[in-house]
Amino acid sequence: MAEPLTQTILEKPMHAPAALSRLRSALPEGLRAHLRSARELDRDLRESAGEGAFPTAVPVLDRLLDGGLPRGQLVELVGARASGRFSILLAALAAATSTGEAAALVDLGDGLDPAAAAALGIDLERLLWVRPARLKEALAATEMLLASGFPLVALDLGLPPLRGGRGVESSWLRLARTARAHDAALLVGSPYRVSGTAAAAVLKANRGRAAWRGGGVSPCLLDGFNARVELEKCRGRLPGQSEELRLLVEDLPRPALPPRQPARPALVQAPAVQERAWPLRRAASA
Amino acid sequence: MPRIACLYLPLFPLAARLRSEPELIREALAVVEGNGNAARVVAATRLARAAGLRPGLTLPQARALCPKLVARPRDADCERAAQEALLEVAEAFSPRVEDAGEGIAYLDADGIERHYPGPSPELEMGRALMNAAEAASLPARAGIASSKLAARVAAGLPDPPVIVPAGEEAAFLSPLPLQRLAPEVDVAETLERWGVRSVGDFARLPPSRIASRLGRLGRELHSTARGVDPRPLIPREPPPAFHEGMSLEWPLVALEPFLFVGRAALDRLCQRLESRGFACQRLELEMRLEPDGFQTRSVVLPAPTRDVKTLLTLVRLELEARPPGAPVAGFTFVAHPDRPREAQLTLYGPAALSPDKLASTLARLFALLGPDRVGSPRPVDGHRPERFTLVDFSPPPPPETRREPRAGRGLLAVRVLRPPVEIEVLTNGAPEEPEAAPVEVRAAPHAEEAKRPRVEGPVKVASGPWGLEEEWWADDPAGRDYWDVEIAGRGLYRIYRERATGAWYADGIYD
Repeated sequence: MAEPLTQTILEKPMHAPAALSRLRSALPEGLRAHLRSARELDRDLRESAGEGAFPTAVPVLDRLLDGGLPRGQLVELVGARASGRFSILLAALAAATSTGEAAALVDLGDGLDPAAAAALGIDLERLLWVRPARLKEALAATEMLLASGFPLVALDLGLPPLRGGRGVESSWLRLARTARAHDAALLVGSPYRVSGTAAAAVLKANRGRAAWRGGGVSPCLLDGFNARVELEKCRGRLPGQSEELRLLVEDLPRPALPPRQPARPALVQAPAVQERAWPLRRAASA
Repeated sequence: MPRIACLYLPLFPLAARLRSEPELIREALAVVEGNGNAARVVAATRLARAAGLRPGLTLPQARALCPKLVARPRDADCERAAQEALLEVAEAFSPRVEDAGEGIAYLDADGIERHYPGPSPELEMGRALMNAAEAASLPARAGIASSKLAARVAAGLPDPPVIVPAGEEAAFLSPLPLQRLAPEVDVAETLERWGVRSVGDFARLPPSRIASRLGRLGRELHSTARGVDPRPLIPREPPPAFHEGMSLEWPLVALEPFLFVGRAALDRLCQRLESRGFACQRLELEMRLEPDGFQTRSVVLPAPTRDVKTLLTLVRLELEARPPGAPVAGFTFVAHPDRPREAQLTLYGPAALSPDKLASTLARLFALLGPDRVGSPRPVDGHRPERFTLVDFSPPPPPETRREPRAGRGLLAVRVLRPPVEIEVLTNGAPEEPEAAPVEVRAAPHAEEAKRPRVEGPVKVASGPWGLEEEWWADDPAGRDYWDVEIAGRGLYRIYRERATGAWYADGIYD
């Protein structure tokens, strides 16, 4: 039964998904599950080999997301100002460009400093920077970039008040579908939840605590800050996990300031701490 | 002996018009030259010829014969584009092509027949030439011979392609009437009086007598009749740009009808670019305006593309931004070609972006956001953190094998506030003292209307100042004192005081 249909499809050019669904409908029930398009097969193979995620080189994020940003999914990173959201976004871009992949940053807040981005490890030659003025333009630009084959697109909505509001949920669903269709990772950084049900995973970065060097009568020097990143939602997993993220200002370009010495370990990772463990520890110390 | 192929487009003005308006192919169409009732028919479609139309009739006479006649004036733009398209078809077969004007192109066919194995390779090549012209919407005929004249005569004969074997040009031309040889020469009447009717009759006359009676022209004509064509093939230089356009039957005042007509022209233009392996780097639109005007628009593309939809969107945006201001009577698209970006696919490394897709995406982003908002960022020499530059996004090819991501450095990034947010700062000393540390930050009075992030609150910790001086020799020097401040409950900011004015700004958030 499938043979004449296959012939028909081969003779008459059809859109691949339409051809696949027609073939599936023509096959017996037991065989339908075994039919895969090349794209689906490639995705399944990569997922089974553990290559389905896009490592961000931010260990906290990679642990919370089980290996990194999932390809073909929308991940939303929510964080108020000074929560480390922008740093995580840039770290993901740095990781992607360091593997030789091209990446795009849709920067609604227009907050990228190219010199600082290069210092953070982003290969600027592989980064496309798009600076829309309104949310509607940002969404349209993101969709275009996903459809053109960028493996990682980061959309940063900047600081509130957002220019153009939150956007309607259908547009976020549309973005998620486009990411799925093109097997691209989409990371959305926003000051508050915007993507609704479209996000496969939602991370929340709480406001960080600044760490200063010096103090008292001696001059202070900003050393970094600690933020807590929490998994608010993840399809197929229980939410609630959280981890401490420490960010340093080492090597940050600073006007007329010589580079600080001595060099210290760049990333001091606090041990993973479960939120629920706090009351127990307090009870133990008491 | 050289072999020359001729591509000949019969009824050239009509063929050029039908290439631009293919929907008229089944109509009784006549192409006329001249104005008003004095216009004369130059060429007509088969349907019109069946009604009795022939070249030379005036337009009223033609309309009397065929009341449903569709008349179109000769269009130089259409004819130029059709001629270019014909030459491009020829150039797809041979690098040496001569532009003989008015629907005639000669090409050096020496050795090309080797690409067409079979019992009659030249015949196959002639068919391939005609098929390629047909694909470019040009119903051209082909003829192949050892001289240009014989090839041209062969292309004009029915049942093309006609192949004249090498050395048999004289025998081929001999039975043909003299008009085939050179219908415009003024010796035709003299020859008629001599009783010479065919090319063969003329070729049999002694050459010395012909030269003494008819002069140099006669001698050359006689050589031609004997199959000797001394004119060599003169290859043309490929033009630097591709043209496609037409004169409109009625001047257009609205954008949508113009884009409808323009889309067809862009389609043809992109097909021509594709056939040569080019893409459009810059598109110019030349418009002739009613009653007497001319405007040119230029659309620069971020990367070479031949995506019609993208080009049309850019033209639409350009015309919406700056309307021509008068009805458009004709237009020409001029595409400046460039090689499209190429990418080598890899089996083991990360996938490269498709150059075609990337080019059209960049062009659409340019159209959506403007050229100053899309690109690859680069730092600028200097210390001012708000400065940057954008260059064309042209990523290097990905590595041959997939690399592991570089280990994260866990560095804190600054989100730049562009432009800087104006703030008011209370310090623990005199405001003019550079060492006076901020103790409280307040939002500027008009911050609410400007819809900028509010930066305000008591300062918990302040670190600084870091001095910045730049371009003291310029008209716009920078002298700033930077501070890192932690504002209670609102985060970490980078603020600075302008030394010249004493004004305070927040230009970044540690985020």
